[in-house]
Amino acid sequence: MLLKIKNLISIRLVFLLIAAMITVGFTGCQSKKKLARQQAAKELAEKIEKAKKDLLMVINDQGAMSISQKEKIVDDVKALNLNNEEVDALIIEAEKAIERHKKLEAQRLEEERLRKEREAAEQRKIEEQKFDKMEDYFDAIASASTIDIANMRINDALKFFASPEVPVLIIVYQDNEITDYDRPTTIKQYLEHLKDQKKNINRVHNIEYDTKGKIVELELIKK
Amino acid sequence: MKNKALIILFFLVISIPAFAQDNVSPQRKNAIDSLALEKVRDLGKYISIIGDKKTPWSEANRVIDRALELFADGAMMGVSTLNSKEIKYWGIRTYLERLMALNYDKVTIEWYNIEYISDLEKQPDGRYVGVITIYQRFEGRVGDNLVYVDTTKKDITVYVERKETQIRGRLIGFWDVLLGDIRVSETMP
Repeated sequence: MLLKIKNLISIRLVFLLIAAMITVGFTGCQSKKKLARQQAAKELAEKIEKAKKDLLMVINDQGAMSISQKEKIVDDVKALNLNNEEVDALIIEAEKAIERHKKLEAQRLEEERLRKEREAAEQRKIEEQKFDKMEDYFDAIASASTIDIANMRINDALKFFASPEVPVLIIVYQDNEITDYDRPTTIKQYLEHLKDQKKNINRVHNIEYDTKGKIVELELIKK
Repeated sequence: MKNKALIILFFLVISIPAFAQDNVSPQRKNAIDSLALEKVRDLGKYISIIGDKKTPWSEANRVIDRALELFADGAMMGVSTLNSKEIKYWGIRTYLERLMALNYDKVTIEWYNIEYISDLEKQPDGRYVGVITIYQRFEGRVGDNLVYVDTTKKDITVYVERKETQIRGRLIGFWDVLLGDIRVSETMP
């Protein structure tokens, strides 16, 4: 009888112990989940804070960031799917800011293109004026009424050249692939040729200058 | 007969590559033709300057040098006169120096009707060869008197060769026109 009572107590004790263990284990599990939830909420809050900070940086940028940098930030935030009203509103605002930046950039590029066009046109005008000036000298030499006048004009024209030996190339034929020249000559000989032949049958095609602004190569083409 | 046909066929076959290599377009060929004509016109003007008694000696010598640059080495100039049927041939420098020293007070030389009588044709060596004809009107005066006048028809052989040279580090392809012998074909009063 006593043995039976002992056995019964032992069994109950074991059950009690198991029950106590299960209770302790369940409470521990509950606590871990809570901790995880808290951790996740904390991380989300941090992500939202960082996203807001990044988006505000995009919105308030004063030109330090490029369009692609801004787009990357917005795309990264969108990819987080934060489902936060404040963040969503900032995304819209940031996208608007990027659009404004794009418009300004396009405007700047267009202004830059126009400025370069204007400069190129001015440069062309200057070059053409130089070409015209040179052609005026050529015409003046070819139409000189005496050898002395022609020689004087030759000497005037030679002042624009680095030396009397500056090469003169005369294009006689040109297509997409080929450029044919006459036998190369020198500026001195070319100017004397104008004097002798009393006609100017070529026009200036290109002029190359040295750093002092003197002509170092003259390219002509048949009129 | 069969042999003759074979010979003709042989020459036809070997001549094909020469034509096949000639890839110069008609427009480009026209440019070469014009360039050669221009050189002949230049020579006509040089001869007129050299012969002109008003041209200073130093200028005439300079122009002789320029005229010589137009010619191939060893080129000869045919000279005729109404007083003789003989046609003499002089080296170009000798001819030009004799022209400069002619015993007239005034010499007028004019070249006109300058045109091809034989088109520039590509030769197996790659050069183009043609013949340009010119008419030369010569007048010699002593005082105001015209003491000699003639018109000579002359044929000028023209050689054109494609060459390359470096100019300021750039490779330039150019057509080098050189004049060969100038032969008298007719002399008229």
